[in-house]
Amino acid sequence: MSTVSELRPKRTGASGSGASHAAPRPHLDEVAPAVYDELRRLAAAYVRRERPGQTLQATALVHEAYLRLAGAGTPWTDRKHFLGIAARSMRQILVERARARGAQKRWADLDRVSLTESLVRASEEDAMLPALDEALARLERIDPEQARIIELRYFVGLGIEEAADALGISPATLKRRWAMARAWLFRELSHER
Amino acid sequence: MNAEQWVRVREVFERALDREGGDLEAWLDEQAGGDRDVRREVESLLRHHSGAGSFLSAPLTDRVPGLLDEETQFQPGQRIGDYDIVRELGRGGMGRVYLATDVRLSRTVALKALPPHLTRDPAQRERLRREARAAAALSHPGICTIYALEELNDELFIAAEYIDGRTLRQEITQGRRPSSRDLLDMARELAAALAAAHMKGITHRDLKPENVMRAPDGRLKILDFGLALIDPVAGPFAATHVTQPGVLVGTPAYMAPEQLNGSPVDARADVFAFGVLLYECACGTHPFQAASPLALAARVLESEPRPIQTVCPDISPLVASVIDRCLSKAPRDRFASAADVALALARTDVPRPPTGVTIWWRAHQLAAIALNLGAAAFAWRIKEWQHGLPDQLFLAVGILATVAAIFRGHLLFTEKMNRRAFDAERRRAVPVTLGADLLIALAVFADGALLASARPLPAVLTMALAVGIAVTRLVLEPATTSAAFGSAT
Repeated sequence: MSTVSELRPKRTGASGSGASHAAPRPHLDEVAPAVYDELRRLAAAYVRRERPGQTLQATALVHEAYLRLAGAGTPWTDRKHFLGIAARSMRQILVERARARGAQKRWADLDRVSLTESLVRASEEDAMLPALDEALARLERIDPEQARIIELRYFVGLGIEEAADALGISPATLKRRWAMARAWLFRELSHER
Repeated sequence: MNAEQWVRVREVFERALDREGGDLEAWLDEQAGGDRDVRREVESLLRHHSGAGSFLSAPLTDRVPGLLDEETQFQPGQRIGDYDIVRELGRGGMGRVYLATDVRLSRTVALKALPPHLTRDPAQRERLRREARAAAALSHPGICTIYALEELNDELFIAAEYIDGRTLRQEITQGRRPSSRDLLDMARELAAALAAAHMKGITHRDLKPENVMRAPDGRLKILDFGLALIDPVAGPFAATHVTQPGVLVGTPAYMAPEQLNGSPVDARADVFAFGVLLYECACGTHPFQAASPLALAARVLESEPRPIQTVCPDISPLVASVIDRCLSKAPRDRFASAADVALALARTDVPRPPTGVTIWWRAHQLAAIALNLGAAAFAWRIKEWQHGLPDQLFLAVGILATVAAIFRGHLLFTEKMNRRAFDAERRRAVPVTLGADLLIALAVFADGALLASARPLPAVLTMALAVGIAVTRLVLEPATTSAAFGSAT
């Protein structure tokens, strides 16, 4: 289980990061409903493009994400911090789901002359998830913000503006960082094995 | 590459994205400022950037829409090993349950398998094996019997006793509230079954109304030892941690505070869940009822449960006190294990009276109040008839009648509104009402005797009333009281 300090967004040159620490910690009972709604909203955003019958799964996802939150000790300090933890939870859930589907074996069997070609079959993309997860962990050590951008864009499914808002950076900056994170991860996955 | 270089790489890379035309090589040389590492990294990243295509561009769920989908597994009519699948009984996050026929023994069984997306997960397979081992180690009528653990190719499943009943959750949602007597029986039955597990060093960790079935014969059976924790010291198994330490397992609404905090748990977490379950069965609501699961968990951690006597006053004081103790925040304040719960539930048998008898007791008390006050009114009447009778006699009857009536009214109120304190109050009130009633009888009798020469007929009636009051107090009241509450005092 990741510790909370790892999950906290580390913004390069952001002046606001200190303020969130100074803010008084809200009482758990007070924020609980808001937090739960936020997670559900996120989860809804996450599955909104899918078929209608999947609300149940969104709820299940929220429950699972919640369990992880509670397990982490949950001293979230503000909305952005919370979004970070929620995004991390969703990433873990999806990667585990892919792992349970035998992703690692499929990934190893994948003929990867060219990663892009191999991933043309979109439904097989989950085979990549465990490897992507590990690469993301490496990226996080070098540049936590870029790792978070991938989490918000790819795993949670937020748009450019939404993700920028969640991280407190401009959409233009987010776009550039996202491009670099994609390039970096693409290289990692192409050269791996 | 160090952190400073990384920042340089990022700056150059981002600038390169906005660059228009020109010689890239020369531009890179200029931008890198002689740092070969930075230059090589930027160049590599730019190359992969142009080759990445749509990599990670679309959200994962757009690319793999079925990733969270449920899949079907066993179809009705399908033969798996020696089992014919009849139909699916239920599904949850951790497993699917099917009704099947064991063709060798031609008996009906319940098959429990992992959900399809988990069948290849080694940790989940190990969890299912442990569930089978834990439940198989327990031979108790209150615990669902395991017949076999089957492993066929990729499929792994448990064959278990099929209980054609309903879960306690179904009973609760259907609004069935057990009588006080039935609740006590349920509590004892469940505590005994859970104690059998605890004595083998097995903690269930997921006790909830969904996991307790009532068989057609009325017996309760605990199911689903899927999250059971096996204590290596007390238990017969080697210690293996299937769940990672610190990872939360269970159902939040039934988790003890220490479980929610991710601290190590033992049998006392089951004791807490047992308390929540009984509370819910008794009252139909959760002791920490809240608007959302997270708020509920917060209440479990920080607030006291809603007192069970106010939510459902009909519950017997014994069960109420056991539930109260089970719901203690600190594990040390709870029972050490289900065996202790069973012991506490067996210690004092306070059978809750059938409501009909209580109504008779209430009627009796009301009649006695009327009789007391009637005697006082009658004494006043006699004083009017027969001048020269001592005033003290009337005063004595009036005062005693008032005292007795007040105490009886108090008992009626306590019985209805504060059932837990009732027995103590009753014991306190008995000498007062007994003394008052007998003194009233004596005074009224004296009234009658003094009236005898002047008005013989009213005198006889008065003395008869006195005898009636005494008999009522000495014979009838003990009878209704013991019928209603099990003891005359």
